[in-house]
Amino acid sequence: MKQQIVRFFRQWDLQIMVIPAIAFIFIFCYIPMYGVLMAFQDFSLFKGFYHSSWVGFHHFKMFFAAPELGNVMRNTVVIGLLKLCIAFPAPIVLALMLNEVRKMIFKRVIQTVSYLPHFLSWVIVSGYAISILSVDNGSLNILLEKLRLIDGPINFLSIPEYFWTILITTNVWKEIGFGSIVYLAAISGIDPNMYEAASMDGASRFKQIYLITLPSMLPVIIIFGILAIGDFLNAGFEDILLLGSNPVLRDVADVIDTYVYRIGIQNNRYSYATAAGLFKALISIGLLAMANYMARKTDNSLW
Amino acid sequence: MTALLLAGAMALLPAMTGCSKGEQTEGSPSASSSPSASTATGAASPSPAGDRFELGSEPLEFSFYGNYDWYTMPKWGGDLSSQWIKENKKVDVIAVNSGGSAMQKLSTMIVSNNLPDVIWTERDAEVEKLRAAGMLVPFDDYLDKYPNLKKWAGEETLNMLRSSDGKLYQFPNWYTSTPQGNAGYVVNSKIYKELGSPKLETTDDLYAYLKQVKEKYPDVVPFEAGEGAVGIDTMYSAFGENRTAYFTGMMGVPEGNELKSLFLDPAYRESLQFANKLYREKLMTQDAFSQNGDHVSEKVTTGRVAVFASATPTQLGARGDTALREKDPEAGYFMIWPIHKAGLDKNKIYPGNYNQLGWNVSVITKAAKNPEAIFAFLDWFTGPEGQRIIIWGPEGMYWEGAGEDGAPKFTEKFVTDPVGRNKLMDSTGDLQWNGNTTFIDQSKMKFEQTLAPDQQNWETRWQSQITWKTQMNVTEFSNLDPTKDSPEGIIAQSVNDILLKVRAQAVLNAKSEEEVAAMLDQAEKDAQKVGYAQLLKYKTDSWQENLKRIGK
Repeated sequence: MKQQIVRFFRQWDLQIMVIPAIAFIFIFCYIPMYGVLMAFQDFSLFKGFYHSSWVGFHHFKMFFAAPELGNVMRNTVVIGLLKLCIAFPAPIVLALMLNEVRKMIFKRVIQTVSYLPHFLSWVIVSGYAISILSVDNGSLNILLEKLRLIDGPINFLSIPEYFWTILITTNVWKEIGFGSIVYLAAISGIDPNMYEAASMDGASRFKQIYLITLPSMLPVIIIFGILAIGDFLNAGFEDILLLGSNPVLRDVADVIDTYVYRIGIQNNRYSYATAAGLFKALISIGLLAMANYMARKTDNSLW
Repeated sequence: MTALLLAGAMALLPAMTGCSKGEQTEGSPSASSSPSASTATGAASPSPAGDRFELGSEPLEFSFYGNYDWYTMPKWGGDLSSQWIKENKKVDVIAVNSGGSAMQKLSTMIVSNNLPDVIWTERDAEVEKLRAAGMLVPFDDYLDKYPNLKKWAGEETLNMLRSSDGKLYQFPNWYTSTPQGNAGYVVNSKIYKELGSPKLETTDDLYAYLKQVKEKYPDVVPFEAGEGAVGIDTMYSAFGENRTAYFTGMMGVPEGNELKSLFLDPAYRESLQFANKLYREKLMTQDAFSQNGDHVSEKVTTGRVAVFASATPTQLGARGDTALREKDPEAGYFMIWPIHKAGLDKNKIYPGNYNQLGWNVSVITKAAKNPEAIFAFLDWFTGPEGQRIIIWGPEGMYWEGAGEDGAPKFTEKFVTDPVGRNKLMDSTGDLQWNGNTTFIDQSKMKFEQTLAPDQQNWETRWQSQITWKTQMNVTEFSNLDPTKDSPEGIIAQSVNDILLKVRAQAVLNAKSEEEVAAMLDQAEKDAQKVGYAQLLKYKTDSWQENLKRIGK
């Protein structure tokens, strides 16, 4: 303990640099937290926080009794799970594959091309997706028709069964390159001697990936995995709002965030929106704690 | 010295109350209770009490907030028109912008008690909330002093705009006393001619025509319904007399003196069945519900559309007409008289609608230091002189002098320099907060009629020949929406969700007319479950209230 304090003061110049970050988080993340109390009020803009009446769990009861809730929860969980199982591992796979590419130029080109979509906004990406998937002059339909795989164009964006696939695919396309950067960095930190030793012992390329690359990346993967689980209920917002605008898709596209936006924010029902948001945040914290607890067994936990 | 000031303040007092007619006499109570030097000078500086505020007699500066995500106010004085106003009328307007999230911006300003002087916003229940919270300034005392609004909007329109306390708080924009609107059907003239110019009057004609188009032109979309498939609502008018797209948004259909369920309206059911048939047989755009505006625009301007229906097909129609004509003088678009179901009276078919109250309103908040001066400006702005300048620029460029109605006398340059003229008119578009539709249209029409047909503006031509004659007056159905967080507001939200879903499902997924009917029956049941009847009752009551106000 004493040692730690001594070390802390010896690094005072470094510690000072942390202060702005702490202040930032305190001011912008902790102080506004009292706002969650709005969930227990009938908040009115004109009366303000201090004069709005208190209604206890009224908004929570309404939220749990809402006829849409079952559907919304199912979609949130399913889309969250799909993102966790597909969108989370995808960059890891890409990083492993890129690592095996021996032509440097090819690797660089792939890396650049694949991370560029990250910088496009969802408005543009959804515009692309809608154009590609449309029936009138949509490239995908034209391609499939020319290949004689389908008889007539398919209305991809009007069939609920296809929505999750489209959503996850566009998500992976947009984020895979950028997500892989951090894993590539982890890979580049691996000692080349280990690979040399392994190949001397006769390990194949697959064995090397499995026995050296992956275990060395594991701490990074676990940390990002914990964060991804904490983010589980953030199934998506902009992407769903833009790609799932067709009312036919509402049964499969409505998640907590879009529901809160539509019902709460657009209709000035601030307290209701806060209650739903608070509910979501509580579950997220629970999930995060659980993931961290499991990760602690591998000594790679967040705290 | 103090006594002198006191006497001065006292002398001014009755005059001041006269100015605001005992109504919210700001300043005067404090002047009588604690006559300090500051109140005395404060009272002395405005123009002699009881008099009107003379625009231009002293500088006027106020802040202006446009309550829209998309709206960013152009710099005041950045174009020729507002520059002229700034220099000659000494008016400066300071923009408060929404930064893309209007609702949050307004909420923040309300909570932090930092309201702008003028809010330009939708004419909805939110205005009533502001009023109820005592944040708005009533206009009643100014109406007679500044005559333009009263003269051009008319008593009936002003009555409709009045709040529940009987006072007027809203200054309308693009209000009108003559029919307006652009909804209808635009037809590709080249395809039409090549198919032998068949009769296009009834829904059967339309169906047969679309079938022909599909056969002969596989790359063309026979029927384009626009973004969000609004064309389907436009087509609703074809299946019933006195039916208009407005009722679908209103989620109620007037019958007698009651609003009835939209899901059970025979005309609505039939229109969805027809749309479903078009969709099933690939006669309608297959992307109706997923495409966005850019996709529609691309199709129309490249001529890949045979018939295009929407709430404002004129804008794209005009653009497409110009684009196609450049390549081929025979190509282009024209409008047809609205389609009707055989057996109905074609003069009672209203694809679109107009509202005497116009589009939106400006309200003056209590934050304004001199609300009367702001009102004086808005009133001047909506009058002939203000309108001439903000629409067609300062005098001497595209117009010179005015006729008896205040209509500008357009110059040669108005015709010979369309590029410069349009550039000027575009630059002030977002500063037209108090558009006086009747005045503008009368001036425009008078002038257009003096031109040869091919020199006439495409939009103006079809507006005068067709669309203005086929839009329904829905003023009596204004303000029927409940506030969003009231019980009825929550019901409205749920019913709207049900409507949007069933409308898309019926068109996209139904396999037969019976299935469309079954879906609508189910929607009616679902809607009744969430309280549709209560919502219709609320809207009916508001409607009847409106009728009383109009005096019908």
